[in-house]
Amino acid sequence: MTVPSPAPAAAPARVPFDRKLARAAQTVTSRALGPYQTAIVRIGFSLTWLFFLVREFPHRHEMYGPDGPWSFELARRLIADNRAFTVLMWSDGRLWFEVVYGLAVVAAVLLLLGWHTRAVSVVFMVGALSLQNRSVFLGDGGDNVVHLVSIYLTLLRCGQVWSLDARRAAREAARGEEARGEEARGEEARRRVELAGPALWVVLGGFLVAATWFSPVTGEWWVYVLLWVLWLGQGLWWLVEQYAPGEPRVLLDVLANLAHNAALVVLMAEVCLIYATAGWYKIQGSRWQDGTALFYPLHLDYFTPWPALSELLASSGIMVMLLSYGTVIVQVAFPFTLFHRKVKNVLLVAMMLEHAGIALLLGLPAFSLAMIAADAVFLPTVFLVWLGARATRGRDRLLRRRPAAADLPPQRPARDGEPGGETGGEAAPRTLVG
Amino acid sequence: MSAHIDGSAERRPTGGILALSMPYQVVAAVALASLAVLAGLHLAMVFLHVAPSNTITKQHGQAVDDWIYPEFEQNWKLFAPNPLQQNVSVQVRAEVTGADGARRTTGWIDLTAQDVEDIRGNVFPSHTQQNQLRRAIDWYGNAHDDEGRPKGMRGRLSEEYMRRIVLTRIEGPGARADVGGTVERIQLRRTVTPVASPHWSTEKRSTQPSSRLMPWWEITDADRSRTETSR
Repeated sequence: MTVPSPAPAAAPARVPFDRKLARAAQTVTSRALGPYQTAIVRIGFSLTWLFFLVREFPHRHEMYGPDGPWSFELARRLIADNRAFTVLMWSDGRLWFEVVYGLAVVAAVLLLLGWHTRAVSVVFMVGALSLQNRSVFLGDGGDNVVHLVSIYLTLLRCGQVWSLDARRAAREAARGEEARGEEARGEEARRRVELAGPALWVVLGGFLVAATWFSPVTGEWWVYVLLWVLWLGQGLWWLVEQYAPGEPRVLLDVLANLAHNAALVVLMAEVCLIYATAGWYKIQGSRWQDGTALFYPLHLDYFTPWPALSELLASSGIMVMLLSYGTVIVQVAFPFTLFHRKVKNVLLVAMMLEHAGIALLLGLPAFSLAMIAADAVFLPTVFLVWLGARATRGRDRLLRRRPAAADLPPQRPARDGEPGGETGGEAAPRTLVG
Repeated sequence: MSAHIDGSAERRPTGGILALSMPYQVVAAVALASLAVLAGLHLAMVFLHVAPSNTITKQHGQAVDDWIYPEFEQNWKLFAPNPLQQNVSVQVRAEVTGADGARRTTGWIDLTAQDVEDIRGNVFPSHTQQNQLRRAIDWYGNAHDDEGRPKGMRGRLSEEYMRRIVLTRIEGPGARADVGGTVERIQLRRTVTPVASPHWSTEKRSTQPSSRLMPWWEITDADRSRTETSR
């Protein structure tokens, strides 16, 4: 179960209330809960956005470019009114647009891999908000979820597992042990690895100064506060790690855990709100009541990429009725089933399958993938660990290397591999290593 | 790093608020309280934003809107309360000056049919095919009153946006349906075709399309500025 249940069950009978409170406070300050769930959300959303950006690459100018139908000038007039955040309003140059689109793609790839996750998640958010806010009348529900989750992701410690960060941390821990034997070599390697982080920080700092310079043009004040807090926090973290590894370091960890756990609760509640709204409003509709609702979308020209398939499904009145009622029941029930693990998991599978169906039938793959990624925050840890192990094994088999490859320390936990099997194919050249 | 406290053992955890000394604990506690309040407030605002109009939103709607817009805006009434039960399509005709200088008026060009053709058999339809025109005409309708007058700035923006979408599709060599000349004026027609009731239903719905003509719009350079350079 992913709901942050504060008190471990091992408690003896009758724990006094203040004791329970202290225990809960300790839980939310000492751990970033749901490491696997937040990692799968990170992977799911970066993958969705990456697919989308690659797919729309040929159409990027028409969608977000300065010369597209929603021209720079039109966007400028709207954004002067709604104050949305988009770095694309900094300049109407073609080059700037290409840079931003390119960075959005790169950020999606790096977030998927979990490379310097904390910093990259911010770039990912800036990229997603910039493109979407530039042309708000182009998006659909899928863009909307990506938009919201990209903001929450900046506060999540979503690289704890299945990330390059996790792999680096595991390697460093292993090297730390080795270093006791051969100090010099380990130290040297450590120094080299740590260059990327500070360099990234400096570059992003320059960007942040530019962003603040342009703040009268675009973006509400809190976006800049968030960006500055995240950036200063990263710098402070580095300083503290270097010079004050004692209590200040623990305090920073506590603050990061708190932000993570708060964002996780918000994210989970957000998913519940999505389903609750979708479900409760449907109950009021006559078509959902008479059981024909699904028939209509299957006959909308914009949502029937496979008319024969849609027609086939829509031809059975009973089928349409069962699916229509089933949809409403599942959507309305979902938030309440969170209190019951088994029922929750059944409904979760049902919803994911339904979204997979929507992807194909209604021609909304990006929306469906985003919703599945959002649902994934409720997947049980055992399943995710199993999935991770499978993905790692699959990758190792693909790359024909033994589970703990030569370049990795043997004590590396099984869970920590690259995100999912989908990168396995692309990473094929790395057989050289194994 | 995970420090579980067993009720009995008094060993000091290595992480979390219990691992800190007093002044640090105060900072952590303040952070905990403020983040809890912030998260709770945010969720309350999102809830009020997606909930139907109610006592609280009638009194404090502005506060909710200020919090939500623009970055946390959301709408999850997906196919609710009722799914869309009609196909909306857009046709355009244009007055064009040809290379010979002669003016002529084209027949109706169905822009939606272009989109539908592109979507058919497409596993991943582009937003330019599935959302651009569909949402633009929807927005245009919402941003105009029943007499077709624009509601404020957004109404005017939606008109310019429509003109620019149409031009990219009918003017110039890169256009989907090139009219072969300079477009001087355009007229749009919005056609609504109800989806027929299911065959098992006793309900009889008219499937007669109904059209609404929009006024002729003069095309100025502002509507096409820079579009040529990008194509």
